[in-house]
Amino acid sequence: MQAIIDALLGWTGAPQWLLTLIAYVAIATLLFVVAPLTMMFLTWFERRGIALMQDRLGPNRVGPAGLLQPIADGVKMFVKEDITPEGADKYVHALAPIVVAAPAMLMFAVIPWGYNMVPTDLSVGLLFFIAVSSVSAVGLMMAGWGSNNKFSLLGAMRAVAQMVAYEIPLLLAVTSIVMLTGTLSTVAIVEAQGGGFGIGGWFIWTPVGMLGFFIFAVAALAEAERTPFDIPEAESEIVAGYMTEYSGMKFGLFYIANFLLAWLMCAIGVTLFLGGWQGLGVNELRAAGYGVGASILSLIYFLLKTYLLYFGILLIRATWPRLRVDQLMNFGWKWLVPLALANILAAMLWVPITQWDAVRGLGFLAGLSPLARFGLAWLVAAVVNVAAVIFVLRINTARPDEPPYALADEPAAGL
Amino acid sequence: METVVTIVFLIIAALMLFSGVMVVAVKNIIHSALWLISTFFMVGALYLLLEAEFLAVVQVLIYVGAVSILMLFAIMLTRHVMASRPEQAFYRRWYLALGVCLLLFGAAIVPTLLAQQPGFAQATETAQQALGSPERIAGVFSLGVAYVSQYLIPFQIAGLLLLVALIGAIVIAFEERSRRRRILTLAQEHELRRRQAQPLPPAEPVVMAEESNP
Repeated sequence: MQAIIDALLGWTGAPQWLLTLIAYVAIATLLFVVAPLTMMFLTWFERRGIALMQDRLGPNRVGPAGLLQPIADGVKMFVKEDITPEGADKYVHALAPIVVAAPAMLMFAVIPWGYNMVPTDLSVGLLFFIAVSSVSAVGLMMAGWGSNNKFSLLGAMRAVAQMVAYEIPLLLAVTSIVMLTGTLSTVAIVEAQGGGFGIGGWFIWTPVGMLGFFIFAVAALAEAERTPFDIPEAESEIVAGYMTEYSGMKFGLFYIANFLLAWLMCAIGVTLFLGGWQGLGVNELRAAGYGVGASILSLIYFLLKTYLLYFGILLIRATWPRLRVDQLMNFGWKWLVPLALANILAAMLWVPITQWDAVRGLGFLAGLSPLARFGLAWLVAAVVNVAAVIFVLRINTARPDEPPYALADEPAAGL
Repeated sequence: METVVTIVFLIIAALMLFSGVMVVAVKNIIHSALWLISTFFMVGALYLLLEAEFLAVVQVLIYVGAVSILMLFAIMLTRHVMASRPEQAFYRRWYLALGVCLLLFGAAIVPTLLAQQPGFAQATETAQQALGSPERIAGVFSLGVAYVSQYLIPFQIAGLLLLVALIGAIVIAFEERSRRRRILTLAQEHELRRRQAQPLPPAEPVVMAEESNP
């Protein structure tokens, strides 16, 4: 983008900082156009996808195959009456949707869309993504408190507790990948997965990546508040959680943030574990000098993988019931966190075996071929991770000697 | 470029001071916490202006994402205690608070001002070229290397402290837990109530086969 702006406006003799500013404003504008379009497509995709799984048709009237349905929905949202409850804290109530939706937009900034197609290559891109995603918790809290409604407050408390609790396994799962690559830049992480014709180098093919992807996927589902972790807006329990008192476009903003967050979690999952934009032929095109072709092909790969992952979320949503709050917390702390810690241990063993050469005590590794070292690392990491999974399974499924509550046995069948 | 940075700095500083004052000026404690979050954000922006990306991101992650959430939780769970605070006592002696604030601020700022030449350092183009581009402040890489070499002991001690705090929290949680019964499902709770309401019949061996005989 910088190069394009330089070529277009270079003749005006404007100072370099102005050109840089224009380039970044252009990128930001592009992202703010892409984000709502993505969201609109996602609503259609989700409704049609769920309908397909439930043997229904879904929206199919507006436009070809119902593709223009989101626009109709948008018009409906805009012309709805905007209600602020009488007892609400007016400013906090009005600000909350913005505080929730803005981080979702910001997170687009570090997603590597394709070869040479990243809005900004921050050196701490991954950390930026996670830090910004945690900001929306403040917005949820504001929504719950500002609405002055017990359902809102309950929903917000649940949402924030869930986000804070599942941020830990998410961060730990991401840490193992950061250890493998030695960088926090999303672009560099994708570049590191380019081996094996653009497919074999993905981190999901390593034991560290496999367990990491599982933990990441579960934690990301919880972060995005999707089924089976949609406890904060469980409509059969607490109306609609923190969104109860919102209407019109304010509700629409929550909706946008929710969909975008789920999509972004898919995108970052693809970036970290499924090779990002790497795929068959991208690196070959790059080497042959067709930079633009490589960009387009890699963009296609990236979008394909991301939407495939999103489809996985839809599958889970269509088939799984909701968890209980205590089950949620148990699963987060007793399953995911220990597994993520074991995964970090495996990554810690993986890095020296594959990458370090002249380390005391590891001298015998220098004589092995890269493939043999890879195999050895694979074996060691697999042993660590499988042992961790078995251990966690055993300690969590062991039945206590006596039930901690006074009920002698399960309720009778007739109950 | 230099003027742009100065303007951005002044805007951020003004917003930061404004939200800092609002933290202590507003009556509603939740609003106060929200203004504090805005102050945290501005501090992060200031780090970003210094090109300390890592520090800025961590500022947002820790202070906005964790500390402020914890504060909001604490406030909301103790709302009734907070609602009955004696507001008058705080406002009557505002001059004392102002004096203490000025004293503390002065203690921080006066030695700095005495040690330095007054006025902004006006870096001219030639002077900048002579100095070369300044070194990056806190790259992740150099920070990591420093943690495991130069500052290994403080780093390890901080880690140990956090571990002890974590274990302490777990111990407290376990004590709470032993006094609390398990969370039952509605069906289990209903069954439990039913059994508590009617005294259990004396346990007799019930032989199903005999009863079912015609």
